[in-house]
Amino acid sequence: MQDWLGTKNVFKQKSPGVHWSRRTRQNFWLGMIFLLPWTIGFILFTFYPMAASFVYSFAEYHTRKPLVWVGLDNYVAMFTDKLFWISLENTLYMVAIGVPLTLLASFLCAVLLNLKVRGQSIYRVIYFLPSIVPTVASTLLWLWILNPQSGVMNTLLGYLGIPGPNWLGNPNWSKPSLILLGMWGMGSTIVIYLSGLQDVPTHLLEAAELDGASWLQRLRYITIPMVSPITLFNLITGMIWMFQYFAQAYVFRGTNDLGAPLDSTLFYSVYLYQAGFQYLKIGYASAMAWVLFLIILACTLLMLKVSERFTYYAG
Amino acid sequence: MHKNKLYTVLALAALVALALSACGSQPAAAPKELQVWIEWGDNPAQLQTLFDKYTAQSGVKVIVTAPVETDKFLPALTGSQPPDIIIRSGGDLVKSYAKEGLITELSGAIKDGGIDLNDFYSAPLQQCESNGKIWCLPWGTDIYALYWNKDLFQAAGLDPDTPPRTMEELAQFADKLTRLGADGKIEQIGFIPDQAWGHQELYAQMFGGFWYNKDGTQLTANSQPMLDALTWQQQFYSKYDYDNVTGFSTDFGNQYMSPDYPFYTGKLAMMVDGEWQTGPNFIAKFKPELNYGVAPFPPPSAHPERAHTAVVQGTVVIIPANASYPQESAKLLAWLESPAVVAEEMCVNANLPTSKKAAQDPCFTSNANFKVFVDLMADQNAKYMITSPISSEFNDAYSTVEQAILHTGADPKTQLDQLQNDYAQKLQDALK
Amino acid sequence: MDTDLSLERSRVRRESEQERRASRRRKGLRNFLKSLFSHGLINLVGLFFLIPFIWMLSTAFKTDQDVFHTPPRWLPYDNVRVELNGQQLPLYNVRTAQGVRKLALVKIAAGVGTFVDPQDPLQQLQSKFQQGTTVLAEPIMQISFQWHNYPDAMSRGSRPGVGASFWVYFENSLVIAFFTIVGTLLANTPVAYAFARIKFPGREILFVIVLATMMLPYQVTMIPIYLFFNDFLHWKNTFLPLIIPAFFANAYDVFLLRQFFRTIPEEMCDAARVDGASEWQIFTRIVLPLSVPVLATVTVFTFLYAWNDFTGPLLFLDKPNMFTMALGLRDFQGQRTMVWNQLMAASVVFTVPIVIAFFFAQKTFIQGIKLTGLKE
Repeated sequence: MQDWLGTKNVFKQKSPGVHWSRRTRQNFWLGMIFLLPWTIGFILFTFYPMAASFVYSFAEYHTRKPLVWVGLDNYVAMFTDKLFWISLENTLYMVAIGVPLTLLASFLCAVLLNLKVRGQSIYRVIYFLPSIVPTVASTLLWLWILNPQSGVMNTLLGYLGIPGPNWLGNPNWSKPSLILLGMWGMGSTIVIYLSGLQDVPTHLLEAAELDGASWLQRLRYITIPMVSPITLFNLITGMIWMFQYFAQAYVFRGTNDLGAPLDSTLFYSVYLYQAGFQYLKIGYASAMAWVLFLIILACTLLMLKVSERFTYYAG
Repeated sequence: MHKNKLYTVLALAALVALALSACGSQPAAAPKELQVWIEWGDNPAQLQTLFDKYTAQSGVKVIVTAPVETDKFLPALTGSQPPDIIIRSGGDLVKSYAKEGLITELSGAIKDGGIDLNDFYSAPLQQCESNGKIWCLPWGTDIYALYWNKDLFQAAGLDPDTPPRTMEELAQFADKLTRLGADGKIEQIGFIPDQAWGHQELYAQMFGGFWYNKDGTQLTANSQPMLDALTWQQQFYSKYDYDNVTGFSTDFGNQYMSPDYPFYTGKLAMMVDGEWQTGPNFIAKFKPELNYGVAPFPPPSAHPERAHTAVVQGTVVIIPANASYPQESAKLLAWLESPAVVAEEMCVNANLPTSKKAAQDPCFTSNANFKVFVDLMADQNAKYMITSPISSEFNDAYSTVEQAILHTGADPKTQLDQLQNDYAQKLQDALK
Repeated sequence: MDTDLSLERSRVRRESEQERRASRRRKGLRNFLKSLFSHGLINLVGLFFLIPFIWMLSTAFKTDQDVFHTPPRWLPYDNVRVELNGQQLPLYNVRTAQGVRKLALVKIAAGVGTFVDPQDPLQQLQSKFQQGTTVLAEPIMQISFQWHNYPDAMSRGSRPGVGASFWVYFENSLVIAFFTIVGTLLANTPVAYAFARIKFPGREILFVIVLATMMLPYQVTMIPIYLFFNDFLHWKNTFLPLIIPAFFANAYDVFLLRQFFRTIPEEMCDAARVDGASEWQIFTRIVLPLSVPVLATVTVFTFLYAWNDFTGPLLFLDKPNMFTMALGLRDFQGQRTMVWNQLMAASVVFTVPIVIAFFFAQKTFIQGIKLTGLKE
């Protein structure tokens, strides 16, 4: 698992030097030709839009109006915009609670699926299947499951004598509802963990067992460190994904009700969409997008830095 | 705030120029077809049939898209190929569209098309006026009144034929009409103040004000009438634990237009709703056995003179600023606003006709329940929707504040002060 | 834990034959309990994943009224009906002066129903449904699966009567998915090949740039791309904004393919080079034929992505007859009424192609996930 991107030595390479051999030159042009589908796409769909939104972020603009420079106004406005902070807070809630919770749950599910039980492969399919249900379908399904009057969730809780909350209608429960929906579809993370668990050398576990280590101890001192690179990878991808959380929140509340109840599901991307497409503040939305990019960048680097101490790479 | 008017990077300027030239190069010849977008169309097939009549008469094909979600309008209005006519379900955003230069001023179209403005009821027309100009024309309109379930009134020991006469009495009735189950959960509720659209405007006007001043140039979100209206609404929640009521009513919106709507099933005894309920597509279709009555919403006891106050809102027609064939759009508008077409369309869906001539049609006068609404629209207490260029943002913020007050018991005064604080300046900036 | 002690203990244990048997029995019991516990747990968690599916199916078979029955029921119920003069009439338990009778409902007007006795159709009776809170007439129910919800939902679509049914949405989704797959395969393979096999200067740094684009949130590029397609190219309400970007390489697929290409023995390519094969020939004749498994993975995941995509169609498609399944389903929900049974039926139809794909290509799915840890 070491260096999972295979790019560790990028910066250690010698600089190419000015005088390329004929062979190198040939390879360079060959490489460029093979890369064309990426290069053109990068310029059209990444570089140009990045530059454009960077320009917009310092302006007031829409297509029916000439562009007006406003300097840093859009960025400054964020500081005093209450909704901006609410949306950031909601998103951080999902990142700080939703992502680790989902990871923990998928790890535990992977541990369960790794037990030698009869019908193991059927269980694996059952745990995995929800993750391929299309987002809109699964979101609508959970909207229906969590319906406080006719939904199945509160009926099941009722069997146990627990009065179910008004899931999506209650600002304290709306985000946990979305996390629950996310957990239902965490099958792919489970699969990644499962393959990680299968890579843990059996001889290590057996030796520990012989030494009298309990199941919990083996989990704590062998399995968890061995899968820590997977955990890091999933944490980072999960975080990046969660910062952009949109479709589920959009489908849950519908166009006219975005963010309800009480702005508790007004996530960063939802508010950004609202600013851009409902309030026609394209400059402000672009500024928000760039701030989001910086936040994601900072969090990723921070996580990589911190993880150096906690991640174990075999070999 | 001083803003430099500078044109941007070369590439961007070129891009804009290209886009503009692309627009400009379009031939102004006769259109192949006209696109009409309708926000609130429950029956697209019927609407298409209506517009096919225009095709038969003029030879111009009309394609109707309905319903269209609110989100789609702004991108369409700023985009390069907007629909030729947009029919929105409310005039709330007309002022902001006008300010951003997204829609066409209609005085030319009105003159050319021979549209008689005197034939319009004044309240719905007023929402289209801004600085003496007309930016939209109403096409059918809505008014909200009080519906009550006579059987539930009888069961609660109330006279089934007498609706509450004051807002205070309405609260007392609601209390009598609410039943709790053995577990304390609500099984039947008397009244839910925020269950319908357009309720806020109605209550605020009943208490003598609104969140804007008369012409929408000042924000008055924390004025006494607003405070009174929200305090009055809050009691329906605070009386029986906020969660209990919200849990009970969460799903109401999703059951609209189905036999399971709580007013139809007897879970809700009184409701504020629009005139369409009395028509063929609602109660008559989903719950013909329902024994109900309808009356103007009552005034507060201290102000009997405000009886028959109603807020007229509803559908408006606009022409996008960059419509491809402005003349053809104007012609279609004139046809659309002719009394005969208004009468036909509003009759089918039981919406209020905005044309006085159309309102003479027996379709509107023969139904006693529907007549309640026609009379409300003609009443001198009929109010129009006051809007502003920040309506879109403010309405979202207001509904959040309202939810906080009604659903979680937040203090109305603090919330409204905060709201006033947040948006008063924004309104002034936007009006500049 | 005192390891020495436990080792000692096991040695002692080994000495006694009798004790060994007892221990085996004890161990057997412990294992049994353990496996009971793990089976219990794995089933319990399994229910969490399974019940939503069951609920989806159960709802999809219910009648409109049954959907909102409180408390909800697991199985679908419907009115018992009797045929009378060629009409299917619902049966009610009606309270009458002679006690509760089974009567068929003929018509309703102003809160009063007209009932007839199915045995004696001439005998008519008028009754209210409810007197205050007392129920006077109650429908008689039986278990019944509403199979017609599926065709109804599919042909109804979110816009009844304007030629925008779920069949159309289904077809649109398929068309978009097909071209997205074609584009993805064509565009990403040469790029991945260059990164895996051609040693050109600047390769590593370019690859880092490719990977870095994964971190770029969609929101940064969303508005300019929207304006570009909509206002500059006038591609609104076509599938082009959804399909064309697939014809340019993207970081995920490049990464996935490169990882696989790197596992193909370098010697094979070198040998071909010595024989005078061009890079293009090596790529098309040697590497691609050996990469069928990973190409299958890319195909499956691209299909999944395109089938699933919501934000793209949301931005670019306005006309109902251009909607995709995802958008159509959302649109269905956006109407004034939630027709839950048909909504769930349509969701089932939306999900089934993917489930089928999964069962045909289980290995491909799992392999793809393991290779990249792709989400969504």
